[in-house]
Order: sequence, then C-alpha cells, then structure tokens
Amino acid sequence: MRRFLASLRDGVGFDILLVGAAMVFLVAMAGLPLIYNVLMSFQQVDMFTLGSLIRPWAGFQNYIDVVREPAFWLVTKNTFIFVFFSMGGQFIIGFALALFFAQNFPGASTIRGLFLVSWVMPGLVVGAIWSWILAGDFGVLNTILKGLGIIQSNVFWKSDPAFSIWAVVIANIWLGLAFNMLLLSVGLAAIPRDLYEAAELDGANAFQRFWTITLPMMRSTIGAVLSLGLIGTLQQFDLFPAITEGGPANTSTVAQYWSWQMSFQLYDFAKGATISVMMLVLVLIASIIYVRSTRHEVRG
Amino acid sequence: MKLNAFGLLAAVSLGAMSLATPAFAQVTLKIWSIDGVDRVGIADTFSKEFDEANEDIVVEYRAIPFDDLVNETLRAFATGNAPDIVSFDNPDFALFSSRGAMLDITDRIANSTEIKAENYFQGPLNSVSWDGKYFGIPKYTDTIGVFYNKDLFAKAGITEPPTTWAQLVEYAEKLTDPANNVYGATFSARAGEEGTFQFLPIIQMSGGGYDNVATDGAAEVLDLWKKMVDNGWASKDVLSLGQWDSTGTFNSGNAAMAISGPWEVNRMVEDAKFDWGVALLPTITEGGERSSALGGFDWGIMSTTKHPDEAFRALEYFAAQDHRIFEEFGSIPARSDIELPVTGIATKDAALKVFKEQLQYAQPRGPHPEWQKISKAIYDAMQQALTGQMPSKDALAQAQTTINGILGK
Repeated sequence: MRRFLASLRDGVGFDILLVGAAMVFLVAMAGLPLIYNVLMSFQQVDMFTLGSLIRPWAGFQNYIDVVREPAFWLVTKNTFIFVFFSMGGQFIIGFALALFFAQNFPGASTIRGLFLVSWVMPGLVVGAIWSWILAGDFGVLNTILKGLGIIQSNVFWKSDPAFSIWAVVIANIWLGLAFNMLLLSVGLAAIPRDLYEAAELDGANAFQRFWTITLPMMRSTIGAVLSLGLIGTLQQFDLFPAITEGGPANTSTVAQYWSWQMSFQLYDFAKGATISVMMLVLVLIASIIYVRSTRHEVRG
Repeated sequence: MKLNAFGLLAAVSLGAMSLATPAFAQVTLKIWSIDGVDRVGIADTFSKEFDEANEDIVVEYRAIPFDDLVNETLRAFATGNAPDIVSFDNPDFALFSSRGAMLDITDRIANSTEIKAENYFQGPLNSVSWDGKYFGIPKYTDTIGVFYNKDLFAKAGITEPPTTWAQLVEYAEKLTDPANNVYGATFSARAGEEGTFQFLPIIQMSGGGYDNVATDGAAEVLDLWKKMVDNGWASKDVLSLGQWDSTGTFNSGNAAMAISGPWEVNRMVEDAKFDWGVALLPTITEGGERSSALGGFDWGIMSTTKHPDEAFRALEYFAAQDHRIFEEFGSIPARSDIELPVTGIATKDAALKVFKEQLQYAQPRGPHPEWQKISKAIYDAMQQALTGQMPSKDALAQAQTTINGILGK
C-alpha cells in the first residue's frame, strides 16, 4: 500500500495518473461525441428522437442515400478543389513570404507580425469583408481588375457558377496565409546558419541552397503545416455562409457546409452525421501524416 | 407564558403563510420568439404587458435569434424543457404541429370571444392548420409585389406597371441603362428560403403547388427570368442577394423594378429619392391566375405545457392587440376585420393598399413537416435553371423527383 502511494507521488503511478486525467478529458470531450456521431450515421434520426440514444437501426442506408443525392459528386468535386487550391495557395504564398521575411531588412519582423492580423480576425468578419470585395456590381475587386484592364465586364464572383467556389478559395487563402507563413518562418529560423555559410563557400547558388538545404531541413515542418492546413481547410465553415451560402445551385457547397446544412437547415441529422463521418476518414489520414512527420522532430 | 408566545408565533406564521399563498399559486408561462433580439417587437412588448396585467401569471420571455429558434425549440422539446408559447415563421410551424408538438386549440378557438377563425386571412390560417385542426393563430403576415420607379418608367415612356411576366421582362429591357448603372429589374433568387419565397408563387400561378412544381408555366417564367439575367437586364447577383439587399439597389436608383414586400416600405420612404409605386405580382397570362408569397409568423402553444388555459389567455390577449401592430411595429395583421390606419404619407398608404389586396392571393409554403427539404429542392432547381446548368424543364423535373421522394409518392 505504501509502495502504491509512493509510486503515486513519484513513479509510474504518477505518470499513469497524469495520462489518465488527459485521457478522461479526451474521451469525455472528444471521444464520446465522436462515437455518438458515428452511431447516429447508422441510425434513423428523427428530430424528436434527438434526445435518445437508442433509435431504429438504418445500417448503411444513410451512406447510400448521401451518395445518391444529386449534389453528391458536385460537392465532392468542390471539396477537393477547395482543399487542394486553398492549401496550395496558402502554402506557396506563405512559404514565399516566410523566405522573404527571413531576409534581414529593416522592419522585417514587424511587418511579419502585422500579417497576423488576418489570422486573428473571426472567419465571419473575414467572410463579410470578402463578400463586399467580391460583390458583382459594386465590388472593389472588379473595380480594380477593370481599372487594370484585365477584365472588360464585371465578374460575378458570388453568383456565377464558374467562379463561386473560387471566391471562397481566394478568401480562405488570405485567411490562412499568415498561419502558414508563421509556422514556416519558425522552421526557417531553426536551420543553422553555418550550413548556408558552408554551402556558399562551396559555391552553391541561391536556388541550390534552397533545394539542398532549406527544403530537406524543413521536411517535418512542411509536413506539419500541410496536415494542419488540410485539417483547417476541412474545418473552414464561416466563409461559406458569409460569402456564397453554397450557391448558386450548390456550385460552392463543400462537405463541411453540406453537413451543417443537412443537420441544421434541413433537420436531417442522420445525413449530416453521415457526411461528417466521411470527412472524418479524410482528416484521419491527414492526422496520420502529421503524427508521422512530427515524430522525427528534434526538440531542444 | 412561554407556550403562549410560541402559540402566537405559530399563529402569526400560519397567517403569513396563508397570505403568501397567492404568490405560490402563480403560474409561470415561458414564451419564446425572435422579437427583441435586435429591436423591440410584437412578442416581447405584449408578453411584458400581459405579465403586468395579470397578477396570477408570470411571463418568462426569451428572445432567440431567427437562425436558432427552430433548433433551440427542437432541443428543448426533446429534453422536456419546451416553452409554453412559441412564435414560429409560418413554414416552420407544420414541422411541430404535424408531430404533436403543438396543442390542438380548435375547441378553444370555437369557444373564444376574442379569437375568431373567420377573421383571419385563409393563407395564414392554413399555415397553423394540420389535419383539419387549428394548432395556433397567425401573428402577422406579409407578402410580395412589384415596386417600380415611376420616374424611370416615365423616362422610358411606360405608363403602367407590368401585368404579366412577359411584360415585366419587356419593360426590364427598356428600362435597363448600363451607362447609368441601372438594371431593369431586381429580385431575390438566393439559395435559401427567400429564393423559394419569391419563386413558389410562380409555380402556384401556373396551377402547381409545392407538391407539383414541374409545370409548363413555371418553366416558362423561369426561362424569362434567365433571359433577364443573361442579357444583363437584371444583375447576376440576384442569385446571391437577399430581398433586403436586392431592394437596396432599387432604393439607390440602380434597378427600376424590385420584387419584395411591405417590410421595405418604411426604408423606401426615407431612402428613395424618386417617385415610386407598388403593383400586384404579374400573372403568367393576361388576367391569369394570381398568387403571391405568404410571409409572417404564427403563435402556438406547445403540447407539453402544464398551463394550457393561461397560455390560451395569453394568445387571446395578443390577438386583442392586433389593431396596434401596424402602427407600432409596421407589421400587417393577418385579419380582414382590421382596417389599416392612414399614415398620411401618400406612397406608403398606396403601397399598403396594394399589399393588402395582394394578401388575398397569398398562399402558404406547405404546410409540410419536411418543408425545409422541399424548399431546398425548389430553390436548387431555380438556381440550376438560372445559371444555365440545366434547362428549366429538366431542373423542375429533377426537383419534382426529389419532392416526390420526400412526400413518399
């Protein structure tokens, strides 16, 4: 008994206690809702059975119904466009900016800090602002593009099926840019200077230094940034109701907005849960990549 | 002595208890509505008055934002914490009444001196009816018509507002003036309830309904709308603008006609720097079937209430105030026995006269317990047709298939 108590204070028991506390928290706050959500996707959920746990079993019917929805393939396509181009844009521009601000010039770190402003703003506010910028008849972006002579007539970003998903992608790139840039800046700062000095002595040019030093040294950071980017993009919801509401004709509806729409606008909670379980699988893959890429991280 | 003092004390406390009894017998009514979230409205004002006028009743009023009202009430009902009285938007009402969540008040209405079913407009009354019974009473109502800019009409040499959709499109073409940023017409074909609100009347005019959307007439008008959008006689942004923003472009003189409702009138009186009027919603053929959207909220008592008598008294009190709601809140009573007061503002009085006439043709959305899904099928079809992703006929046929699935046909 004394040994048990002693181990609680200092030893294996203490470790288990700490881990246990974290696990209880995780299971209660994340695990149970997750299981509940998965369970719901296999049940017939009625708005008036929302409060009960035991409901008629539906098997895979909800999944079949979701796939058979006329909008399913359109939403799938939109989701991939949104995720791929949002992440791509955020990462490439974010990396470019990180490299730019890694140069030593007066005010570099101050200006880099200012970029955080976009990340601090709530998604709904960002959405509302971009909604004005992208407005068709009196939008700022159209005025600028026309002034530059790039377009002749107004582009209806929010109402043209050819552009609606891109309207949200543009706003999302802007929103996630700062986060990408900051994480990548941290990665860049961690690369020892002497590597570059040695490379320069050996006569490597800027591109070679980037390709053979920066990129390999940044591998784990890039992996983390991309996985977090994927998760963040799949979570991005606020911009959709604020800019396009998924329209016109579902051409800018993505999975996460669709899931919300099913549950809280059409009150079809089972289908809403089903779509989110499908997304969960995607996020799971991203998480595995993230965990694997950070496993080799050297700390301290 | 000591015993006596104790007895006295007991007597006093007994007396105090009996005095306090009325307070214990007070009935608490929970009333939920969207009024009072951003501005003072009907429900919060009258609930407070009812609370103050009745010693035996305490009203706990709660204002809930529009987007949360249905979800919040569903959750409360599922967990047994539902309010006694709630006020829903009329298409949401059937969701609750059809599942036994609202109290059947047919007999109470029949015995009431204050609430008489025959005083209400048919459309609003249908929205609180299910299975031939009344589950609530209309709170107020609204509808849509065509606002038109008389100055621009005169400039284009047009004397009368359009009476058919074909004419509306013809006028829109004449009124369009890109040099001055003027579109011929504006409306709301948004991906949401507002889109259905504006398009369903067309289906109804063509002899259809929410259960029969694939009519030739509806496809014909949809093609006309598409023509307006394609040719730039209406902004492409009608696909994403709500009615309030869409009509805003009319007020600033950037659209010569706007389809919207009486809630615009007060703002228009202030903002519009031109002469304007309102016309009934056009018909498909000259002198053809009329229809219009039916907006507005309903009152209902939830079936879980423990105080149905007191709750119905509250509804009677609310109904008795109907003559005040136009003057105080700008809402139109859903009743034919109440005359709207004259405001003295010519455009406003003329507009309200037209809307009052339009209300006679207003038809409810549904009622159906799965209205939201039906509505999505309708506005999806409208948007698919307007964006050219599908011909109008095919889009409406696809919507019909979806709706048949929902209706179990």
